[in-house]
Amino acid sequence: MFFPDSFEVSLPSDREIRVTRDFDARRGLVFDAFTKPELVRRWLLGPPGWTMPLCEIDLRVGGAYRYIWRSEKDGSQMAVGGVFREVTPPERLAASEAFDDAWYSGEALGTTEFLETRGITRTTITLLYESREARDTARRSGMEYGMAAGYDRLEALLPTLTGEPA
Amino acid sequence: MNELAEPFAMSQPAVSRHLKVLERAGLISSGSDAQRRPRKLEARPLGEATAWLETYREYWEASFARLDDLLNELKATQSKRERAATRKR
Repeated sequence: MFFPDSFEVSLPSDREIRVTRDFDARRGLVFDAFTKPELVRRWLLGPPGWTMPLCEIDLRVGGAYRYIWRSEKDGSQMAVGGVFREVTPPERLAASEAFDDAWYSGEALGTTEFLETRGITRTTITLLYESREARDTARRSGMEYGMAAGYDRLEALLPTLTGEPA
Repeated sequence: MNELAEPFAMSQPAVSRHLKVLERAGLISSGSDAQRRPRKLEARPLGEATAWLETYREYWEASFARLDDLLNELKATQSKRERAATRKR
């Protein structure tokens, strides 16, 4: 059973972004999928056409994590890392988040909560930025990557629409 | 201002406060002539704001669909292991 309808992205305040989703699994399993590198690499792949060549997680308070994504098309890279502030399996994680090419000032604080009800785990990710400008700049830059990926999809689709060979 | 407030069950000062917030956010601008200050909707920043949110949504939607599949696989492996353990006992 899947719960795509439970998915919600909201802006609870000027400095925050929140993503919520229900998963049909016990929260221990969902927590593992968020914290074990061999599992994270299976789903947190970035925009379409990107892979995750590096995923390191030292899961303890004060421990660091680092993710690198690479575009298979042009080899460009995106890297993010931070330090865990709170590690409470299987219910809560908090960590700083800073991208290598920081298009915005300072770092964000990410909090992930796992709440289980009758075997369904509601997962809530909240990112708190230093300012509204930082939040919007960070996400707009992310969007540009996403848009480029969107154009790739469109390019692939165009020949089928016009009936001409690619 | 009167025209803008008319359709709402809200006091004029309240409407005025909302307009100020929208103007500070760059989502509306106000012109002026002798008697009126017509407000104009600034569609571009509004469009940008919803565009990045929409792409952000799509990104997480796709990631979570992959996570659904992974969790299903992990659950299957787990129950297979449990069944094997029960058989052994």
